[in-house]
Amino acid sequence: MKQLFFIIFLLVAVYTHAQKKKAPISITGSAGIGYEGYGLDKNPSGFPAYSQRRPWNQVRFSFMPTIKFSKNFSLPINFNFAAFPTNFAGPFSGIKNQNIGQYLTNPMNNFGLNPTYKWAEFQLGTQYLKYSDLSTGDIGIFGAGFVLKPGNYRVKFFTGNSQQGINYAPFPGPIGAYKRTHYMFSLGKEKENDYLVAFNFAKGQDKINSITSFPLLPTTPQEGFTLSMQVNKDFKKGFYIKTEGANSIYTTDLNAALNPLLKSFKPFIEARNSTTSDYAAQISLGKKSKNFDIGFGTKYIGAGFQVTGYPYLQPDRFEYTVNTRFNAMKNRTNVVASIGQRFNNVSGTTAPIAKQIIGSLNWFTQFNDKFSINASFNNFGFNTPGVLAPGGTSIKNVSTDLGVTPTYTWTNTTMSNTLSLGYNYSNYKETLIPFTPGPTVTQLNNTHTVLLSYIPVYFNRKISPDFSALYFYNDASLAKITFATLSAGLAVPALKEKLKLRGQLQYTLSTFNSFTPENNVVASCNVDYKINKKLTWTNFLSTNYYKYGNQLGNPFIGANYLESNLRTGLQYKFK
Amino acid sequence: MKHKILLALFSLFTLAVNAQLTTNLVVNARPSARLSDWSITKGTFTLIVSNISPQGNRRVKIKSVLKTADGTTVASTDLNKATIILIRDGNSIYDANTVFPLEIQQFEGSFQTMLNRTGKLSSGAYQLCVELVDPTTFAAITPTQCRSFFVAALQLPITMVPYDKQELDSRKAQTAITFRWTPLTPLPLGGVNYHIQVFEVLENQQDIQALRANQPLLDKNIFAVTQFIWQPQLGFINSDDDSTGFQKPRRFIWTIQALDASFKPIGNDANYEGRSESKIFIVNATSKQKGNNNGNKKD
Repeated sequence: MKQLFFIIFLLVAVYTHAQKKKAPISITGSAGIGYEGYGLDKNPSGFPAYSQRRPWNQVRFSFMPTIKFSKNFSLPINFNFAAFPTNFAGPFSGIKNQNIGQYLTNPMNNFGLNPTYKWAEFQLGTQYLKYSDLSTGDIGIFGAGFVLKPGNYRVKFFTGNSQQGINYAPFPGPIGAYKRTHYMFSLGKEKENDYLVAFNFAKGQDKINSITSFPLLPTTPQEGFTLSMQVNKDFKKGFYIKTEGANSIYTTDLNAALNPLLKSFKPFIEARNSTTSDYAAQISLGKKSKNFDIGFGTKYIGAGFQVTGYPYLQPDRFEYTVNTRFNAMKNRTNVVASIGQRFNNVSGTTAPIAKQIIGSLNWFTQFNDKFSINASFNNFGFNTPGVLAPGGTSIKNVSTDLGVTPTYTWTNTTMSNTLSLGYNYSNYKETLIPFTPGPTVTQLNNTHTVLLSYIPVYFNRKISPDFSALYFYNDASLAKITFATLSAGLAVPALKEKLKLRGQLQYTLSTFNSFTPENNVVASCNVDYKINKKLTWTNFLSTNYYKYGNQLGNPFIGANYLESNLRTGLQYKFK
Repeated sequence: MKHKILLALFSLFTLAVNAQLTTNLVVNARPSARLSDWSITKGTFTLIVSNISPQGNRRVKIKSVLKTADGTTVASTDLNKATIILIRDGNSIYDANTVFPLEIQQFEGSFQTMLNRTGKLSSGAYQLCVELVDPTTFAAITPTQCRSFFVAALQLPITMVPYDKQELDSRKAQTAITFRWTPLTPLPLGGVNYHIQVFEVLENQQDIQALRANQPLLDKNIFAVTQFIWQPQLGFINSDDDSTGFQKPRRFIWTIQALDASFKPIGNDANYEGRSESKIFIVNATSKQKGNNNGNKKD
């Protein structure tokens, strides 16, 4: 890390000297430091129903200036890092003591520099690069590379590590991970708002020897190579088409024996017993305009298609959606709608094909200055015949949500008042039908939500209050849940608007089946103080008190906890 | 006639000798759908060979034939490439790595294509037939043993509600947020635990970065059920500035992880964490200031 700071210092020093007689260096962006403290007091101490959900103490730093040395040369810096690791998902889970390599590549931290000279950009440190949807992935990689854009040509290259080797240790230690190295390259031609043609190549490989204590199965060292081709074209009158096709060759276990019968792509990847080669493609086309959009999108991801940069990609699916948006009645009506279908297990390697239908509609109409209505409808269905064998189960899920919210606003000389009453109905049904004789199991969920809110806006006062009341009732097969919430908020500027105060108080009474009610109070506030034009001191405090009824049984009847959260920080804006 | 008698005598002698070599094949009734897993997963196939032959150690090759339930051949061992195994006196136990080494199996046309693309077989019933053969003549030494099993790849849960990038009204979300997902298919016999996690995407963070770096605000295991109603107990008010670390509006990423009955991840292909593709939801506190109670984006 010291080296990185030294490089920045050196760059700044050299260019400050070189540019002395020219235009002054300009710096934009921001920097900040923030502290977060968390407290959880449980009574009786140690009851298991509620756990810590934030780090006890954390300090976060950000340093994100863009230093412009001249018309042609700039240096964007993106340093965001935290003092303590808090990884709970992914390869760094459970890590406590990190070495410098693990700290630099921990997804919690960003150390990125992107010096740019005319059409050449160098990418150093942590970068989240997405050459395309089907090639490089979405995870951060620590390394070095460049993007060159001479004329309409595009040349991109980057290499680095998305994770260092992490030795396995028994729970609660790290699950262990192999060091993963990535290489990516792209060659293309692009004209903004006109066309793009690009070939993308991405390779990722786990280093088996990067650790001495190996993770347990199913974690295995992996390797993947992906080629993709993108063609995008924008036409006149807002029409567009975007396409990408990709082929991946992926080895899920580098310890498996080499297999010459399977497809290799030497020298980039050599097939093993655990290697698959499959395809993916996506197309979207449509038309965009100020008051009307329509689009069609489809995506296919083969069962064996994998990319090292997308660790959670779910393959073996085909999906399509049609979506539209339009404004009507002189923009007083706005409609957003989409409908689509997704087929899982296209390859037939799971059960028979599982189908999903997804549809949504949101309709807003402003009838006049006083009255508007918003209506929404969402639906999804999931259906799979399941495995046609003993123990197999066919599954049907249907979820439907319907919401209507009328809003009425009235105004006099001193204030305006907005009153809205929203109702939402949600129905969820899951049916499990066993292949062998046995009972069909149906879980039904009906949820009703009513929200009443009132927001006064004073023309001559600076306070901004708001009030709301909510009733939520969920009727499930074995559970009946009720929440009743009252909430009030207030925003107040002070000290000639240098100080901004916002507070919120919320009380919820909840019941579960026939157990006695439970009570919850959440109080939170923001206090932002503008020290000067560039420096702001921000604070957030929150307290959450929860008291159980008799649901937890003895000896936890009446158990309660007090959770508190404090965030304070200084934010400096360079310009 | 004389030759026939000699041949009959030879055959009788051979059978008498080989009768001292017996096999017993044990297979897992529901092995991994991924064929490359068979060699690294204990108990997928186990071949027990008992040698009480007076000849002592025997040199053999293992011939395996993988068939569909209706008897169609899927793959068979290329005996020219098969390793010679020395069977010693007593009992010897061989696992899938020796019984069905994938790299020397010859797959039939469409099955080879399927294996190349997916590393798996179509879901359904299969049988594995195994016999020991002479290493030079490939003549059968033991009777063929066949055992049936069922293969079906897993389809991890798919996160459904909240929909990707759905904006939730903060006044509703502060009381309850409902999560729904599709079930793991096929459902395992021991049941499945769904591990739901919700992470807040902090200022200056990428979505995936929050999932891999932050402490989850919700971290719960739910057995069998595919819905969860979460009471967030969070203050959703916003700051104008960034150093408190909150995004404006507040942004969250959620995911489902499939765990078995002993809370171990049910990994699938490259996704050894068994974690589903995550989705984003946004708690839109700014709507409060606009006096707009719509949960969906309209601007």
